[in-house]
Amino acid sequence: MQYATKTIRRFARRFWRGVREWCGDAAYERYVRSSAARGDRCQRLTAEEFYVQQLNRRYSRPNRCC
Amino acid sequence: MLGAGALGKIAFDRGESLNAMWFVIAALCCYLVTYRLYSAFLAARLLALDDTRATPSERKDDGRDFVPTNKWVLFGHHFAAIAGPGPLVGPTLAAQFGYLPGTLWLIAGAAFAGCVQDFIILFCSIRRDGKSIGQMAREEVSKRSGLIAQLAVLAILVILLGVVALVVVNALKSSPWATFTLAMTIPIALLVGVYLRFVRPGRVLEGSLMGVALILFVVVAGQWVADSPSWARVFTLGGVPLAFALIAYAFAASALPVWLLLAPRDYLSAFIKAGAIFALAGGILFVRPHVLMPPLTRFIDGSGPVFAGKIFPFCFITIACGAISGFHSLISSGTTPKMILRESHARFIGYGAMLLESFVGVMAMVAACAMTPGVYFAINSPPSIVGATPEAAATTISGWGFPLTAPAMAGLAHAVGEQTLWNRAGGAPSLAVGMAQIFSNTIGGERLLSIWYHFAIMFEALFILTVLDAGTRVGRFMVQELGGRVWKPFARTGWMPSVLLSSAIIVGMWGYFLYQGVVDPLGGINSLWPLFGISNQLLAAVALVVATTILLKMGRTRWIWVTLLPMTWLVIITMTASYQKIFDANPRIGFLAYANALAAQVAAGKIPAAKLVDTQRLIFNQRLDAAVTAVLALMVIVLIVEALVQWYAILSSRRAPGLHESPYVQTQWAQEYSGATQGDD
Repeated sequence: MQYATKTIRRFARRFWRGVREWCGDAAYERYVRSSAARGDRCQRLTAEEFYVQQLNRRYSRPNRCC
Repeated sequence: MLGAGALGKIAFDRGESLNAMWFVIAALCCYLVTYRLYSAFLAARLLALDDTRATPSERKDDGRDFVPTNKWVLFGHHFAAIAGPGPLVGPTLAAQFGYLPGTLWLIAGAAFAGCVQDFIILFCSIRRDGKSIGQMAREEVSKRSGLIAQLAVLAILVILLGVVALVVVNALKSSPWATFTLAMTIPIALLVGVYLRFVRPGRVLEGSLMGVALILFVVVAGQWVADSPSWARVFTLGGVPLAFALIAYAFAASALPVWLLLAPRDYLSAFIKAGAIFALAGGILFVRPHVLMPPLTRFIDGSGPVFAGKIFPFCFITIACGAISGFHSLISSGTTPKMILRESHARFIGYGAMLLESFVGVMAMVAACAMTPGVYFAINSPPSIVGATPEAAATTISGWGFPLTAPAMAGLAHAVGEQTLWNRAGGAPSLAVGMAQIFSNTIGGERLLSIWYHFAIMFEALFILTVLDAGTRVGRFMVQELGGRVWKPFARTGWMPSVLLSSAIIVGMWGYFLYQGVVDPLGGINSLWPLFGISNQLLAAVALVVATTILLKMGRTRWIWVTLLPMTWLVIITMTASYQKIFDANPRIGFLAYANALAAQVAAGKIPAAKLVDTQRLIFNQRLDAAVTAVLALMVIVLIVEALVQWYAILSSRRAPGLHESPYVQTQWAQEYSGATQGDD
């Protein structure tokens, strides 16, 4: 029983994380982690700046198909 | 064995009707077999995927474009990007031939052509740091091929946007409920845009869930609008005003900041698309509807009312995206390769996502064929073919062997909350009727039929509009880039005069195709959908030429049939369809024959003076369509000649096969690393 609960909780956590990453909700957290990992010396973007920049980049190339 | 049995059942059964479960079983079994065997062969023998090689997302990780992503999440990203209206509309239109040819091509075409193209192009782009199909064509084939790829992308974009906008117009015209619902998605998207920009920056999930709840509310509220005579009048629009409204909307979405309208609408569309597709799959499994359309109809001879043309090549041209889509090569060589974690994931994401798209096409085919065939033809046939009055149309359709009465159609229109369902060519309304019948048999029964119908219309129109605004914006960038070659300041993407002018040029181009489709007495879809199919398959031929060239350079001559056979097939169907669309003597098929027939009527004085200008415009439009088709066919010929010269040089060892791959770098990631956040696993 304890094992089943643990498995379900782990699955739910993974699913939730997957949904957040899929829809872009976790994009800023990813960015922060990534630039921190690379020791980026440039000034880190705020959540708002990152959001706008990311959208401008994404919608300047084909990203939705027929 | 089970899949072969199910395929045999749908191919040879000639009973009263066939349960849709046979389609689901046949498709799923075929997908499992081809994924397990064929894609494994491609991964191991043809491409030799190497997980010790660092992917671009590892080498260039910047947290923005190059982001190592878990394979399930990236599968979701990739599928959401490639799945558009094509796999829903194409199979619905091709259902006029019966359920069999379309279903077989959806399954076989995806397994041996579409998935192969997506998978190999994804692999090639991963090995080239995420280069686009145009860049790869220029580097690996020739400079001219790169230019052809760029022109093909622009051509397909313009025709695609025109034809999908026509699908929306035909779904919304004379429908206050549907028009109101779709119109309300604009202020909802603006609200979500402001929320995500200023209130909770980047909190996409909560903003989108709020927007989805509001959209579901306006789907229900649309009924109150339709029931109110004064409000219904405001939202009851004809084809031409709707076309201009769409053009104005796309212009605004292209010129406005992307966070305000375009992006939030895309988020809403992605959630609703995912929900509706899962709901349709669940509904089909729950209801297990019977397919009422025969396996083959009399219209395989080319006399179809939805669009004219014989089963070969028009079934393949019409299905397009559900089996193979050239447009996918833009996604496979754009965003996805920059996010992939390991080379081996390319099999699951490239091959697997296309299989899922094909399954969406099979479900659309089931939904279209599960309705009474008479109703299907009544919704999708123009009045010039079946007759202008409901009684005349019902008599014509019944005469084809598909019993139908005018009161039955009126009853169905009333049940789904519409004034009429006649003459709604384009696939969206008939698919919505099919989906609504499946959904209402799952939840709510007859009582909720009208809500489900308008939910389905909203779902289709919402994500078609997303294609429309995102495509217009990308087209704007292409026009600015081309204009920048003539006058440099024009290429500045933030300079407002350039933004406005380039947006006007791109909406003017696809808007013209939309307008000509709306005023076309043959229904528009008859001319424009084949044109879209030809341009889409042309781009697929470009992608397969690039893939074949790269495989030859990699020394995979023994397995070259993997890309060469689907490429040859695409060239044959594209060229045959182009020839027939230009030169066929039947005015419903050949653009020139139609133009000449109209010109002869004008010369003979048979056209009333009031309609003379419209007729002259129609003649011009047919000649323009013929010219566009000829240019597309010419591009295929030039591309093939370029490729043959290149292949001959490689095979005869006259030219060293210079591959433009990035150098090998060993991965630093542990074998079990899956892109998960630390502590989450």
